[in-house]
Amino acid sequence: MKSHRIIAVIVRHAYEARRNADRITDMVYWPVLDILMWGFFTTYLGRGVGMRPDVINVLLGATILWGMFYSFQRDMAVGFLDELWSRNLINLFSTPLTINEYVTGLICINLAKTMVGVGAASLLAWSAYHFNIFPWIPALVPYLLNLVLFAFALGILTTGLIFRYTTRVQGLAWSFAGLLAPVSCVLYPLKSLPGWLRAIAWMLPTTHSFEGMRQAMVGGGFSPYHFWWGIGLNAIYFALAIGIFKLVFEAARTRGLLVKLE
Amino acid sequence: MLVQVENLIKRFGDFTAVDGVSFGIKRGEIMGMLGPNGAGKTTTLQMILGLITPTAGEIRIFGKSMATHREEILDRMNFTSPYVAFPYRMTVQENLTVFARMYGVREPQRRIDEMLERFDIARLRDKPIARLSSGENTRVGLAKAMLNDPDLLLLDEPTAYLDPDIAYQVKEALLEARSDRGMTILYTSHNMSEVERLCDRIVFLNHGRVIAIGSPIEITQAILNEEREAPALEEVFLRVAREARE
Repeated sequence: MKSHRIIAVIVRHAYEARRNADRITDMVYWPVLDILMWGFFTTYLGRGVGMRPDVINVLLGATILWGMFYSFQRDMAVGFLDELWSRNLINLFSTPLTINEYVTGLICINLAKTMVGVGAASLLAWSAYHFNIFPWIPALVPYLLNLVLFAFALGILTTGLIFRYTTRVQGLAWSFAGLLAPVSCVLYPLKSLPGWLRAIAWMLPTTHSFEGMRQAMVGGGFSPYHFWWGIGLNAIYFALAIGIFKLVFEAARTRGLLVKLE
Repeated sequence: MLVQVENLIKRFGDFTAVDGVSFGIKRGEIMGMLGPNGAGKTTTLQMILGLITPTAGEIRIFGKSMATHREEILDRMNFTSPYVAFPYRMTVQENLTVFARMYGVREPQRRIDEMLERFDIARLRDKPIARLSSGENTRVGLAKAMLNDPDLLLLDEPTAYLDPDIAYQVKEALLEARSDRGMTILYTSHNMSEVERLCDRIVFLNHGRVIAIGSPIEITQAILNEEREAPALEEVFLRVAREARE
């Protein structure tokens, strides 16, 4: 992999983010709006219903982390859609750029964009609702890592599906992560799901991240169990996503789809 | 030979788009690729660029196989077509910066300035691509194609949207690149007089096959099957296209 080509992909999407109001909205608007809504709701739960502060912290923390996961998965796919919409694929892949460099570049730029969104949401939660997530960060790092890895895997898989089925399935960029939200136990514990759904939830790294996060935020300490389950599942999903993406990319070149995608 | 295409075949299901195409391009040569619509020109070009995987056959460029040395080869090549677009919200400068980085161009800004001057588009530097005319867009494509000072340049109808004056400037720039540093060019166009003036040799395709290779005069004599003193590619093209329809 050549770093100058990875930087070129980063620079290309940084310019796009600067010029495209949709990307700015995606980056900051939604995470901030989520926190505004959940902030008012948890304020009501705290003052009106007398909910314990640590539970409120868990709800706000989960909202911020889910926002991060969702943004990351979406931006991976939207990054590719930007090439498709601007009919830039032929220009891009007639350069020496490899698919690994392209995906690495997308990961780097989207990590930066997600951090901007999470940063804005966290600052709002701190200033408006006195919820400071930053002291929790060291305890949450293992679960954040798992969330980010799973978001990569889903983003790559979604991009692969768009490669294969073109813009007919572009809605997946915005909806795929949402499909997993009910079974990822973002706002409620795993045990609150019906038995048959727990087995599905267990197979998602997101579930282990949010279970581990809740345990850490209510003073239960680090959960190696949830961390390693998350890592193991991510290893499988990541390998699958990369494998499928490479297969789809090669198939697109064989079938001439790469030049017809536009 | 700088480019060697050997028995190239591309099938899409039952349809054979390219059927055993072979030709070579010498270093410093300007090779035209002609043929009616559906002759297999674009598919051949896209296989040379590595955008489409051939069903069979081999492409060797700079003495290396495209199948196994894609990165190395594409690093020394470039391509443009007026039918390919750039991200339209980004400015000309931003687009060229991205591609200069992609090719690892040394002193990228100096090179971008040179290309903007060469194709007379310096005044468009800060304009978003969406606000350019087709002709201006084509010239940005040409500037991008010359950014890395390629050893092999693939041009798909580069003057299609240009007025005669700008088209002339572009041809001059290409001839200069060839004479100054021996750039090799593979060129497709539907402007036959332009091909006659610019190309040293031509590979003529029809129904996915090579029907003639040679200088413009050799192609004229081979396809019209008569002695001629000057090339008449327009006539050649019309004859091949009409026969293809029948």
